[in-house]
Amino acid sequence: MSTTHAETVDGALPHEPEKATLEGRNKVLSFWLFLGGEAVLFGTLFATFLALRNQTNEGPTANELFSFTTTALATLILLVSSLTSVFAVQAMHRHNVAKLRVWLIVTVILGLGFLGLEIYEFSEYVIAEKFGMTTSAFSSAFYTLVGFHGAHVAFGVLWISVLIGQLFKKGLTVVTAPKVYVSAMYWHFIDVVWVFIFTVVYLLGKVG
Amino acid sequence: MTSADHQATHDAVKHSQRHEGPQKHIIVFIFSIILTAIAFAAVIAGGVNTAFTVLFLLLMAIIQVLVQMGYWMHLKDRGHMMPIIFMIGGFFVAGTAIVTALYWVWW
Repeated sequence: MSTTHAETVDGALPHEPEKATLEGRNKVLSFWLFLGGEAVLFGTLFATFLALRNQTNEGPTANELFSFTTTALATLILLVSSLTSVFAVQAMHRHNVAKLRVWLIVTVILGLGFLGLEIYEFSEYVIAEKFGMTTSAFSSAFYTLVGFHGAHVAFGVLWISVLIGQLFKKGLTVVTAPKVYVSAMYWHFIDVVWVFIFTVVYLLGKVG
Repeated sequence: MTSADHQATHDAVKHSQRHEGPQKHIIVFIFSIILTAIAFAAVIAGGVNTAFTVLFLLLMAIIQVLVQMGYWMHLKDRGHMMPIIFMIGGFFVAGTAIVTALYWVWW
């Protein structure tokens, strides 16, 4: 029996290793409480944005700035990465550590792709469109909301990268499994927030 | 417990823990893509009155979020009562903040 597995009575890793220990179950439950708090955080940022989105101070407006192509591409990248993290958790439930790592690596690469696109987008706004953090109430609200989401993506990329390293070092155990499960939940939540961002910020910005 | 018994229970456990395939997650993915495409198309096509478009876009987003949270975050699985309460609590406070801010700027 591999020593990287936390042993149960018969020496096998349980079917859903993230729920096998009380500590694992508590971690998952309390992560939901954290996500509830995250919903409040993003809710207040959305509230600020919705209140200020027409205060452009004679700077660029949403309709002038946003491009459908960039938004659609960012949406597609994040949606695919959410699916690959589902596949990661499914590989974990099959105790296939190699596949689990591959899907997590794909998720991280897609996360980096999303970040690269967002950095390119922001730099275009700041340099070409003269749309900086202090241009207008709209610009401040926009950069705060979308930037907070981008920071969450960046944190997720770092977190999942560290987990991949830990999976190489320690393998899949009842200790590492809850971490993987919880990070996948975090990643889905980031995608859920993005659904509201592309709708409320980008598409509503185009509608007027 | 004899070795045969042990094997039998082991098989029974194995059987009850049959793994779910990727099919339903791929269906959720395609469904999300379609909802997103409809939302983009509605804005690009334009023409319809603004209030209707706004409500339509929000509806598309809410459906997509509910489906993803149900299937990808497993909220529809059993034993998720507390997570659902946490999320409803979070969304309730978020919604209150949004309604308050809009009320404040519109009236």
